[in-house]
Amino acid sequence: MSDWSQVTRPIPVPNEWTKPFWDAAKQGVLKLQRCQACRHFQHPPYATCVSCMSVDLAFEPVSGKGTIYTYTIMYHAGDKRFAAAVPYASIIVELDDAPGALLAANLLGAPYTEAKVGRRVEVVFERLNDDITLPQFRLAE
Amino acid sequence: MWEHRCKVALSGVGFSKVTRSAETPLAAHALEAVKAAVADSGLQMSDIDGLATYPELPATGHAVIDGVTIVSVNCMMAMLKLPNLGWHIQVETVNIGGAVQQAVNALLAGVCKYAVVWRAMHNPKGTYQNLPGTYAQGTTQFTAPYGFGGPGQGMAVAYTRWLETHGQSREKMATLAVTQRKHTQMNPHAYFYGQPLTREDYLSSRMVAYPFCLYDCDIPVQGAVAVVLTTAERARDLKPRPAYLAGYGQRLKFEVTGRIGSLSSYMEGGRSSSQLTWERSGFSPKDVDVAQIYDGFSASVIYGLESYGFCKEGEALDFIQDGRIELDGDLPLNTFGGSLGTGRIHGLWHIIEGALQASGRAGERQVKDVNVSFVGASAPIVTGTTFIFVREPY
Repeated sequence: MSDWSQVTRPIPVPNEWTKPFWDAAKQGVLKLQRCQACRHFQHPPYATCVSCMSVDLAFEPVSGKGTIYTYTIMYHAGDKRFAAAVPYASIIVELDDAPGALLAANLLGAPYTEAKVGRRVEVVFERLNDDITLPQFRLAE
Repeated sequence: MWEHRCKVALSGVGFSKVTRSAETPLAAHALEAVKAAVADSGLQMSDIDGLATYPELPATGHAVIDGVTIVSVNCMMAMLKLPNLGWHIQVETVNIGGAVQQAVNALLAGVCKYAVVWRAMHNPKGTYQNLPGTYAQGTTQFTAPYGFGGPGQGMAVAYTRWLETHGQSREKMATLAVTQRKHTQMNPHAYFYGQPLTREDYLSSRMVAYPFCLYDCDIPVQGAVAVVLTTAERARDLKPRPAYLAGYGQRLKFEVTGRIGSLSSYMEGGRSSSQLTWERSGFSPKDVDVAQIYDGFSASVIYGLESYGFCKEGEALDFIQDGRIELDGDLPLNTFGGSLGTGRIHGLWHIIEGALQASGRAGERQVKDVNVSFVGASAPIVTGTTFIFVREPY
């Protein structure tokens, strides 16, 4: 299993488009940007709805259950901040509630060899500091 | 069909020395390549009246210093002091293929007669992707905290998706790496000239970002390549046999910046670009005699073969087997070695080889009886451009 204890993750800097995502994560809630006109979820947040061009967008909670859409196993230790965790699984998750919205994460609590397209995962939260908590994922039933 | 088909031609080509590290400033490489291309056409430098490039430094986190880590149009103008210069541009999107297309448009508009396009690539000291420090800004706030660094991992997740949804195995990619390296041995300008690669080398090489091993990634190098483009009429009076441009296209799709892991964006980019090229030229994939498809990461070739229409989705790794992409195969592919063989110079070298094959100037690696020569000059998702060169104007 990858050892994340020695990893120094870059800290996300919320901006006007992304602040509600990080505010929710800090409260242990996963929220994604949703078009109020056509109800399409999208991620990463964007200025307009990529489906219908509406500018009426808001962040709404999602269940946090989904599947591994795809993944990569990182072996290269060029980035020293992550070298202690190599090899590790960086995954892309598609949530049940938000088809087409793809979230990057790490597969936590399981060997990296468990990452496979289609496996069920659920959100967990990893606190980085007082301001930022990262949504992450672990295997689910 | 395009009314301007075969009205512009690629004439001279030029190469600098390609080195692993930056022994001389990049401007010296660019100048060497440009001088060689102009000489190859049999022109004088003072004949050149158009300049175009895509100067981007793809290595993130390094200083952009004109003449040292990039070679802008301004830098080239300062070096060449062209007395008859009439037009220039450097493009922002669609990579170096876009610069070539702009030069074609300028020639068709009659605002220049002989345009030079170059691509110069720097290999910085230290780690190629010098990733952001303590904080992740902009779209990287959703990727960098999870250890998604350079473009390799972004490409890798799309490749995993392709492999697992189509039930394919990455070991089949060995055929591409080995065949391209075989072609490289007939290209003395290439970085890996003189260094063959075996299937065993590929299969036992270290993993970088699964499913990519070392030999799925082009090696960063310092070097430059250049071309002379002119109208078909003028090209016929120059030294080399011209390669006539039958059509071109660029990708018409783009997903939101920062979206990661999507395979459809590669496919839609490639489909939209190639569709323009097929329609404008009047050819279809079955007419193609030889193909160059951008291979900065090996998987780009898969997306290219499928989205351009050479084979069905999910079948590209089977398509490349059994000698099909060898020089005497049904679809000779990346006959100059590709970026995997030459080193990371981006897609202008693919365009050069497409033109050399069309004009019968590829020497030892010349494919027999070429008329229709296809080029996919960069990875479809970000910057896909496509071209067809022909030997015989029609």
